[in-house]
Amino acid sequence: MNTLTLSRVAENQWHAIENDLVVGRGHAARRLDGRTFLSIDTWREAVFDRLAAAMLADLADQEAPQYTVVDETDRDLIANWERAGFTRERRESEFVVPTELTPADAPPGVVITTASEAPLRELDRAIRAEIEATVGWQTMPAEVLPWQGGTRPLDPSKYTVATRDGRYVGMVRVATMTRRPRIGLVAVLTAERRHGIARALLTRTLSGLHQAGFEAATAEVDETNTAALALFDGLGAKRTGGSLELISRPGRV
Amino acid sequence: MPRTAGGIEVEGTVVECLRNANFRVELTNGHKVLAHISGKIRKNYIKIVLEDRVLVELSPYDLDRGRIIFRYRN
Repeated sequence: MNTLTLSRVAENQWHAIENDLVVGRGHAARRLDGRTFLSIDTWREAVFDRLAAAMLADLADQEAPQYTVVDETDRDLIANWERAGFTRERRESEFVVPTELTPADAPPGVVITTASEAPLRELDRAIRAEIEATVGWQTMPAEVLPWQGGTRPLDPSKYTVATRDGRYVGMVRVATMTRRPRIGLVAVLTAERRHGIARALLTRTLSGLHQAGFEAATAEVDETNTAALALFDGLGAKRTGGSLELISRPGRV
Repeated sequence: MPRTAGGIEVEGTVVECLRNANFRVELTNGHKVLAHISGKIRKNYIKIVLEDRVLVELSPYDLDRGRIIFRYRN
């Protein structure tokens, strides 16, 4: 009879071992927002269950929630995590956005330009403060939230910004390291919204990507973010899929 | 030190994106496998798209199935 043993091989890694073979691996990664991302790779459901139980027991003293992200169509993996006590927290839609479009005009007095670090950090802090002051901040992706006790890395070359009277009022961040660029963030100060700044930022950025040879970019949008959904819909973006965030709060399982 | 049960790692190219977060990957030897993405890929929010070059860890239980554990940048 084969005996499955579980071993925490590092602070953030677990192995399931059978007959001297690693038949499953679990990993925990602390994110910027203080939560812990869990992942488990195994070919067998029973091993998944044992690993998940061991990991959650070992992490039970953490106050911050544990979470994972699963493709919305991956029923087996969703079922695995739900058996472990995880519940559906939120859903993001994935879009492919065409880059061949005419840049929209910025509203009067607003200039779309490249970013410099100091004012970009100021805008980043201002938008973060607005997010944290609203009820919706918990649903923001980890990358929008601050480092715990440190300064968040911020690369101006990835940003295009909107300025009014020299003050930064909106930004878009695009990563172009892969064959298909990813729109990582679109944000405009609350007082400047509903004037077309985000659309101007995005169309200018997408048009630049087209000139650089990219036919499309990708973006993820929280399904409750109706403004962003409308923005991407208006740009001709096509929904290509979605992901579910599943969460477990210690002490509530 | 225990050995890994999924020790066979092969490079391939994504030739089809399927439902249920699965991908058809053509390996360098011409064999096609059905692959899903690893936890590490999901953790880093890496998107796999058509024609991506990837590293696949084959299942020891079924050599027609695999897990994408790395996506090359080019």
